[in-house]
Amino acid sequence: MKNKRKSLIYSGLGTLILFALIFLLSNCNVSNEIKAKSGAQLWGENCLRCHNNPSPETFSDVEWDVAVMHMRIRANLTDEEAKKIAKFLKTAN
Amino acid sequence: MKNILILPVILLFFTINAYSQNYDNQKFEKMSNDIDSLKELSKPGKSKFLLRGYSHSGLEITEENTSFVGGSFNPIFIYKQSDRLMFESELEFELEDRNLNIGLEYANISYLLTKSLTVRFGKILLPFGIFVDRMHPAWVDKFSSKPLGVGHGGILPGSDIGIELRGASYLGSSKINYSLYVMNGPRLNEGDEEPDEAGQLHYDNFPDNNKNKAIGGRLGFLPLSNSSLEIGFSGMYGKVGSGNSQYADVASKLYAIDISYIQNLPFMQSVLDIKTRYSGVITDNADYRDYDNLVNPDAMYTFTNQNSTTFAQIAIRPAMVNNKILRSFEIAGRYSDLLTPEGSKWASNLNQWEFSLNYWLNWRTVFKLSYRTTEGEVEYDEGTDSPVGKAFLFHWAIGF
Repeated sequence: MKNKRKSLIYSGLGTLILFALIFLLSNCNVSNEIKAKSGAQLWGENCLRCHNNPSPETFSDVEWDVAVMHMRIRANLTDEEAKKIAKFLKTAN
Repeated sequence: MKNILILPVILLFFTINAYSQNYDNQKFEKMSNDIDSLKELSKPGKSKFLLRGYSHSGLEITEENTSFVGGSFNPIFIYKQSDRLMFESELEFELEDRNLNIGLEYANISYLLTKSLTVRFGKILLPFGIFVDRMHPAWVDKFSSKPLGVGHGGILPGSDIGIELRGASYLGSSKINYSLYVMNGPRLNEGDEEPDEAGQLHYDNFPDNNKNKAIGGRLGFLPLSNSSLEIGFSGMYGKVGSGNSQYADVASKLYAIDISYIQNLPFMQSVLDIKTRYSGVITDNADYRDYDNLVNPDAMYTFTNQNSTTFAQIAIRPAMVNNKILRSFEIAGRYSDLLTPEGSKWASNLNQWEFSLNYWLNWRTVFKLSYRTTEGEVEYDEGTDSPVGKAFLFHWAIGF
């Protein structure tokens, strides 16, 4: 019973700390260098971390929307990165 | 006479013209409707479905036999319900022991809570280290076989059922990504069903064998502004014994450190890809029944249940040279090792080298010619599955 209470307290504290951390992080300043990156540059930098860069011709605009959302979650892309990469792929295909 | 003929011709001309205009108007209206429908389709927030996946097969020449292997087909179903909600699932069809094996790699629902936080629940690929989460598809992996410690006979988790919070954020010019999850967690093999694997952890724990849930996470730090370097720390903790058994308090701690470095090398006109991971699995010591002791059926034995595994790989591809054939080649080398507990019936101390020459037909289709050599000792060996020895592996993989 004591152990159960301890686990609950630790889990609660852990979740609180995580949310506090995420709140702080989401309010952190992003450098101008990062803000200035184009979709093509982000596509080149991020996709290559796991696999070859996909050809923009692979999917249609509608399909890229789904593929980029899938990769945003899988590869931990930021919201801004995902939007810029999707825009680039749709423009270039 | 001429006037009589001209009148019907004029009438016919106007009739045809009116009909043709009407036809053009109808056609224009239809095209306009089609364009409106297409516009509707491209609006955000509409449901969208995508079928992706990969397939691979190969020829393997080992010291025991030469055999075609694989024939694996992994479709991935992705359904985007809205700009925030997505479902995804990966199935695996493969031949195993002369039977068709259908597996569910993952099936989960993701919801974007905020710009930097996503919640996922269901069966997910665990972000523990980097191999399973990022490198397991055959067309992504640069080698014909997996490193030691991963997959069948491995010690590391692949997927699990539970709930996860994950996301990424910038810190100035650096970036971090994070994941925190609560899962069913591993299940301890208590030796009742598979005595030769007593003390091992199994990750197909559904329904859960106890009321405890495993807690884990991964923190990745990308210090360079071009995201070329990532250092990751993973951990997981949970009770692994059955809730109503003598193993109820047996717990496991899992940890991993991984490093990735991907960089364009202009002087070599090549892309350099380095990845490495060290991980450990520590399970509380426990007494297991010694089924091999025929004199005393109640005899018990124990061992220090500590495991570790490492892999380090490097790949170079001259992707920036002008020659199309040359830039399609890639060379890769990998070292991996696996150390499982001495005194257990599944003790092993293995190390492995694998070298691969790859040819990329396009960005997602690859032919891999690999040479693999594995040395060491395996206490418990299922015969044909023994990885010890030398082998030539020729694999073909395609992502779609």
